[in-house]
Formats: sequence, C-alpha cells, structure tokens
Amino acid sequence: MKDFFKYANKKLENVKFANKTKILIFTIFGGTILIGFLMFISIFALKYDFEALFVNLTKPQVKLEEIKDIYQVNIKETLSAIKENQISKAEGIEVLSLAEQIIKKQWREYKAEENEKIGGLPEFASNWLNFFLLQRDKTQKTVFEQRIIQNIEKKIKSINKKTQVIISLLNTKKSIKNKKIINDTILETNSINIYLSTLITNNLMHAISKKEANDRLFNTSTMMLVFLISLSFIFIILVSITIINNFKELHYSLEENIDKKTKELRALNISLESRISKEVENSRKKDSIMFQQARLASMGEVLQNIAHQWRQPLGTLMMIIQSFQSKYEVGKLNENFLNQSVDDALKIGQNMSDTLDDFKNFFMPNRAKQTFDVKKAIEKSISLSKYQLEKDEIKLDFMPSKAIKTYGFKNELIHVVLNLINNSKDILLSRPNVGEKKILIILKQTKQKIIINVIDNGGGVKNDIITKIFDPYFTTKHKSIGTGIGLYMAKQLVERHMLGKIYCKNIKYKFGKKEFYDSAMFSVELPIEGTTS
Amino acid sequence: MNKRNLDILGNFNILYIEDEPELLRHTATVLEDFVQKIFPTLSCKEALEIIQKNRVDIILTDINLKHENGIEFLKELKFELGYNIPSIVTTAYTDTEYLIDAIKLKVEDYIVKPINIKDLLNSIHDVLLPIAQEKEIKKSYNMIRTISAVTDGKQVELVKFILKNLDDESMFNYSYGDIMNQIDVSKPTVIKFFRQLSQKGILTKIQNRKYFFNENSLPDPGEEIDCEI
Repeated sequence: MKDFFKYANKKLENVKFANKTKILIFTIFGGTILIGFLMFISIFALKYDFEALFVNLTKPQVKLEEIKDIYQVNIKETLSAIKENQISKAEGIEVLSLAEQIIKKQWREYKAEENEKIGGLPEFASNWLNFFLLQRDKTQKTVFEQRIIQNIEKKIKSINKKTQVIISLLNTKKSIKNKKIINDTILETNSINIYLSTLITNNLMHAISKKEANDRLFNTSTMMLVFLISLSFIFIILVSITIINNFKELHYSLEENIDKKTKELRALNISLESRISKEVENSRKKDSIMFQQARLASMGEVLQNIAHQWRQPLGTLMMIIQSFQSKYEVGKLNENFLNQSVDDALKIGQNMSDTLDDFKNFFMPNRAKQTFDVKKAIEKSISLSKYQLEKDEIKLDFMPSKAIKTYGFKNELIHVVLNLINNSKDILLSRPNVGEKKILIILKQTKQKIIINVIDNGGGVKNDIITKIFDPYFTTKHKSIGTGIGLYMAKQLVERHMLGKIYCKNIKYKFGKKEFYDSAMFSVELPIEGTTS
Repeated sequence: MNKRNLDILGNFNILYIEDEPELLRHTATVLEDFVQKIFPTLSCKEALEIIQKNRVDIILTDINLKHENGIEFLKELKFELGYNIPSIVTTAYTDTEYLIDAIKLKVEDYIVKPINIKDLLNSIHDVLLPIAQEKEIKKSYNMIRTISAVTDGKQVELVKFILKNLDDESMFNYSYGDIMNQIDVSKPTVIKFFRQLSQKGILTKIQNRKYFFNENSLPDPGEEIDCEI
C-alpha cells in the first residue's frame, strides 16, 4: 500500500500542475456521474419492487373472483339445475358440498393473503421513502371494507347453512320446501356475489390508488433526484471552478513570487559576489596593515635594541674625544695615548656600523630566497633582542646543534624567532613571582624536519586560551605592551612562506636544574629541504 | 663661576662603577689626571670590597649595571652598611622613576649620559668643595690658634676685633678710644699695631675713624684657601 502511494506520488510529481487539476476535475465528474447512475439504478429497482408489490396486492382479488365464480357457477347454477331437476340429486349434493369446501378454502386463503405482510427490503425501502417524503397514509382497511367482509362472512355462513339444509332436504326429498330454500339461496348467492364484486372493485380501486401514489412518489423522487443531482453537479462544478481558479491564482502568484525571488536572489548573488570580493580585498588589506603593524612593533623593539647598542659605544666615543682635550690640558697628550685612543675609537665605530648593518638587513630585506644557516639566523634573532632581555634580567640560552643549512627567507625566520622570544619575554615580565627568568632555544634536526623549540619558564599557557594564542589581535598583555599580532604573524610566516608548522604546548622543564618549571614550549617545524619544493 | 679650581680634587679618592668596560677604562684614564686615586670597577661587589679596604671620598656610579642597579647599591651602602659617602649617578635614562629614587637617596648629582667630562669634573668639584673647604677652615683655625699660643695675646685680640667689625665695604669705623673701651688694651699698643698694619698696606686710613681693610695685601701663609664662593 505504502509502496503504491510512493509510486503514485512519484508519478504525480512529474505531472504538470494544469494536468493535475484536469485529473481532479475528471475524478470529481466521474464520481458524481457514477453516484447519479447508481441512484437511478436503485430507484428503478425500487420501482420494480413496488410493481411486484402491486402484483401481490392483486393476487387475493383473483381468489375473490374465483369464490364469486364458484357461487355464480357452481352453487347458483347447480341450485337452478336442481330446481329444474336437470341434474340428479346425488350430483347436486356432490357439486354443492365440493363448492362449499372450495369456497371455505379460498376465503381462508384470501384472508390469509390479505393480512399477510410483505416485509423485507422492499417494505423497509417503502417505509423509509414514506418517512422521507412525509406520506404517512398507511393502507388501513376502511370501515366500509370491514363491513363488506363481515357481510360476506355472514352470507357465506347463511348460504352454507342453507345449502346444508338443501342437501339434507334433497336427501329426504321434500321438494316444495326445498324450492323455496333454493330460491332464497340463489338470492343470497346473488347478494353475496354483489358483495364480492364490491369488495373486488374496492380492493382494485385501492390497489390502483396505491399504484398511482407510488407512481407519484416515483416521479417526485426522480424529479428530486434529478434536481438534487443537478444541484450537486452545479455545486461541484462551482466549487471545482472556484478551487481551480484559486489554484490557478495561487499557481500564478507563486510563479510570480518565485520569479521575483529568483530575480532578487540573482541580484543578491551578484551583490554578494561583489561584497565578498570587496571583503576579501579588505581582509587582504587588513592583513597587510596588520603585518605592517607587526613589523612596526618589532621594528620598534629592535630599534630600541639598536638605540641602546648605539648609545653605549657612542658614550665611549664621546669620552675618548673629550679625553684628548683633557689630556692636552694637563699636558699628558702623548703619542702612546693618542694611538691607543684612536685604535679604540675606530674599533667602536666599526661595531656601531655593524649594528646598523644588522638593522638594515633585517628591515630592508631582500625578498629573494637564499641558502642560509638556521643556527646563525637564530643567533641573529637573539642578538637583536639581547638588550631588552638583559634589561629585563632574562637569561636566554641557546642549545644549537651543528650548522643546519636550509633554503628560504632568512629574515622571516629571524623575525619569527624574534617574535617568539619577545612573546616569552612579555610573559615572563607579566609573572613577577617567577624568580629566575629563563628562555631556552633548542635547535635540532630530524630526517624530515628542522625543529626550533622556544621554551620559557613563565608558567605555561592557560588551557582556555591555548587554542586562541595564534589568533590575530589576541593578547593577554596590556594593550600598551602587546599588539596581539606577534604570534599570528609568526604563524602566517611559518605556514605560508616556510610551509612549516607552529604550535604551542605546556611542558615541565628542568632548565638544567633539579626542580621542574611549568613551561610553555613554542615549536616551529620546518621542512628540511626548505621551501624549494 | 665657570672656571673652577680643580686642584682640590687632587686630595680625593674616587670610586667609579660602570659596567661598560670601554667607557670605564676611558673615563678612568681621564679622571686619573685630576684625582689622587681612582678605583674603576665593573660591579657593585668589587666596589664594596674597595670601599671596605680603601678611603673613598666620592662614588661615581652608573644606574643600569649588568644584573644590578647603582641606586640600589647606594641605598644598601647608606642605610644598611652606614657609609655616608657623597655620590654622583650617571644614567642613559632621563626616567623620573630613577630621578625620584635619586632625590630620596640625597644623591649629590645626576649626570645624563653621554658624559661630558667637564660637567663631570665640575660636578665632582662641587660635591667635594664643601669638604675641602671644611678641611681648610679647620686647618686655618688650627693655625691661628697655634700662632696665638706663641705670640702676644693682645695683638690677636685686636685682629679679631677688627675683622669682626668690618662693614660690607671692608671699612673699619672705630677710633682708638672706641677700641680701648671695648677691649682691654693700652693706647700705645693700639697705635703701634695700626702703624704696623698700615706699613704693610693692610689697613689704610681714609679719614678720621675710617680705615679700609685690604685683604689682598695679606701675606701668603703657604697654602691658600679657595675663597671663590
């Protein structure tokens, strides 16, 4: 069953909407016609039943007719024959007694048939129809009828008595008396015949009137049926038309709606596309601004380093210059001092120049890839952050392996390590109770990877933020310290430019001592062949 | 006031703490020409040892030392170890944070790097001057007391009276009678003493009861007191 519905639904899905309405109308029409047809059939069946009933009604009249005939033919004529002595006594007696018997039997049968109920479905249908049409004239036997029947019964009895008397008289051969009785009997027979005729007529009239009523009933019901069917037909058609029109309107409005929506969607799609491309461009811009910011931030830090690395030797240089004057004034400006001081000054100047080169190389990088030593790159990062670390009393150790050559952007790796060192430094500074502040950088090499671990004893990263630390603008530090870009930038550089991985773990680490420190370890994994692939 | 007599530095020992070896060396080379002795050192620990073993008259220290802080060291020295040595700090920072610490500590001077050697010497001079003067005054006083012990007491009393009653223009406005009323001295002694002084050009009579005291005519007693105050 379910399968059938599924199948039908499937089939219907492919049918056009207009065709669906056609199917609906067809079904409704077909149904109505079928109902009408069935009703006609049933009403004709009903009519047939009534006809049959009429036949039933007329059958007892036949009996009455027979009784009448028997009286007319057998009794009356036999008595006449007896009177005229045209037949023998024995014959007369036989005929009479036979006639008596037949009459008795017929009368009994008539009465039985008359009182017999029709019953069954026809009666039920008739009763129902009567109820429905409010015609409650049940065919009750009229007083007139009853009186006739009583009279007939009386006459039958008296005729019966008289025939008995005649028969007995015949047997005793008293003819005069007999003649008189015979005459009486003939008269009575006549009167009974008249009664019987009246009853028959009456019954027939009755049947005819009933039949007429039935015919009227039939006509009325047929008319009503036709009227009702037409009415329901019209109603159904009206309803169907309304529904179909509704459907059509709905259909068209839906189609219109869909068209409108489709257009809107298309427009939206187009605007969305342009918006997306705009947003993408914006986000690209934002990214580049962010990188710029991060660059500026680390540039600031490195600049501070450079500034300090310059300030120291600058002070010494100025001191050397002043010492010439001072020595001259006290008369101790000799060749030895002069040479010594000039040598020192030149050395210091060279150092300053080197520092400047570092800075220049770091911030005006050549974007070309090159083969470089990872160890040296890390050392450069350390030297760039050295001053800050010293100032903040952070001890940084570097455990390098042997020199590892790789191919890629050297300055970017320096930048990444610098960012990681700065991050560790900021964390350590935010933990005043940490005691001896330490950062350890470990460089090692496996078959496929170069691994740089930056570990600090700042207590590790809280679990609820460990997944967010590489997000842009995420910072636990005070706004004035952190931009929230350092780690994001490191991740971007490692993943995009170096095709490596960067992640963070909380570990316990000894730092070469007995006790274990809660530590955060940032690891950078780089492919060993660099980014040549 | 620009030109200071830096010779007074020659009597003092200076302790110099600076963590930058080159700067330490060169600054020390300059300073050693001016002071009696300079103790250059890179750390506070060494500095403390030097203080405990030698006479140190003034401490010159950098604030930002390697793993140390010059101001902290000075605090410890002053409040925990009880040394009361004048000090000058040098720093590359103009941070008020340090400045306030320095003021609380009553540091004598605060020099911003890079060091100007003249400023430094002047600063050292200014810090040491009161000490040198105090020493000199003590010395002079002792000298006067020694002289008064071996010469005529009346004359010393007269000198005291004259110097005490000089007005702002170095004028002495007393007659012999006035002097004799104030101190117990005979007139011939006063006349004799005034004559001696006028002969040496120390006291010149302008008019009656008005004498000019010329301090430039005083003879050199050997070591001179710096009087440019």
